[in-house]
Amino acid sequence: MESEAQIPEWASTPCMMGIDEAGRGPVLGPMVYGCLYCPVSYKETLSTLEFADSKTLKEEKREELFESLKTDKTIGWAVDVIDPKELSAKMLQKNKINLNEISHESAMGLVKRVLDMGYLLTEVYVDTVGDPEKYTVKLSARFPSVKFVVAKKADSLYPVVSGASIVAKVTRDRALRNWVFDETAENMHREFGSGYPGDPATKDWLEHHKHPVFGFPSLVRFSWGTCNSYLKDGVEVLWEADKEDEDESSSKSGKRQMKLSNLGFTGMKRKSEDIESSGKGRCKFFESRKLERVSGF
Amino acid sequence: MGGGSASMETGTINLAGVAVDLTDQIHQLPSCIKYDGPAPVSSYFKPKSTGIEVDGLNVKEACFRGRKLQGTTFPLPDGYSGFVIGKKKASGKRKASSNGDAEMTTSWQMNAKFQNITLWNHDNRPSKEDAFLRAFHWLDVAKALHKPVTSEEMESKPNLGATATD
Repeated sequence: MESEAQIPEWASTPCMMGIDEAGRGPVLGPMVYGCLYCPVSYKETLSTLEFADSKTLKEEKREELFESLKTDKTIGWAVDVIDPKELSAKMLQKNKINLNEISHESAMGLVKRVLDMGYLLTEVYVDTVGDPEKYTVKLSARFPSVKFVVAKKADSLYPVVSGASIVAKVTRDRALRNWVFDETAENMHREFGSGYPGDPATKDWLEHHKHPVFGFPSLVRFSWGTCNSYLKDGVEVLWEADKEDEDESSSKSGKRQMKLSNLGFTGMKRKSEDIESSGKGRCKFFESRKLERVSGF
Repeated sequence: MGGGSASMETGTINLAGVAVDLTDQIHQLPSCIKYDGPAPVSSYFKPKSTGIEVDGLNVKEACFRGRKLQGTTFPLPDGYSGFVIGKKKASGKRKASSNGDAEMTTSWQMNAKFQNITLWNHDNRPSKEDAFLRAFHWLDVAKALHKPVTSEEMESKPNLGATATD
């Protein structure tokens, strides 16, 4: 999703861009990266538009500001909506990708998209949770022609980032409000609350929507540690992908993020036999096809 | 039970009767789910076709417990069917066999039948190289090993050892 496909005259003048995210912390729903861009010469005007860190604004005010910036011909915007299913999948795949990497890729994707459309981006302001310096190096290496300013709380420092935060936040709120479940289980509802693990409404929702076998609807980010406590009475599920890094992490003083397979079932034996047959000890033909003899049921 | 001396287990499988058809509903997941019993699979597990084809296999996508799964549905070979069988209770009779060993007879009943399986991988796309698909090679090998040679075949292919002396 982004503003009009036809690019304006000002695209070829030096442009600035702000990037911010919404929904990084919540245990459910998409994470949204939003950007707002305009000519560098529009900087002054931008600071008069009452953009502020989206978190300090009321929802109606954010909606109103989003609608007004959409009609502003000297402002462009774009969003990248990262589905919770994609977040869970990436963070739980065999080669796990952490949230910072996912965030960086998303932000860089926005820069690339706007550059590719033909905007002459010269300054990009980015909000970050992690280390600003390393992130700056990474961004500059990828886009050498752009000057990056990476800062914590950039959304309250630079109006162009505040604007981006409004774009991101409104998009995330709308995505949640209009969420259509993949699942067709009965009695599901959309009183998610904010999605933050500490929000009582979110807690109630998680409690109500947990399932012993399936865990949760795919709106939930299964890679969040919060999920553990809700599923500890659930069915244990073992994955091949978790075995290696469990062996790895046990040697690293066991410091690791939650593993779904580990939902309160510590101390259980975990062997490959649990997952599949091996054909071990038989001739190569059988071994490579994991065929073993079964003599009793 | 291995060929020990103490007891023997034999079984019979009764394939008669009307079975539920589970074709298109059998999924092989790349995980071990420590649960046996019913679950609302169709409400939570929603495979979607991706339009991608690998080795002539149509790739599907689904998720389970936050993991992305990629899979493919393949038909069982001609002449084969899959069965879900359950132990029939109380029909196991204990009787002393001729050599004095206790013999257990278990009888199994077919509960359902299927003609295809959907194989799911975690992260990887399914391919012909997957052990699960390759396991079916055994059927051809077994056939070649065990198929009796007909008298016509004996005649049409002369014995090489014998011809060498002629």
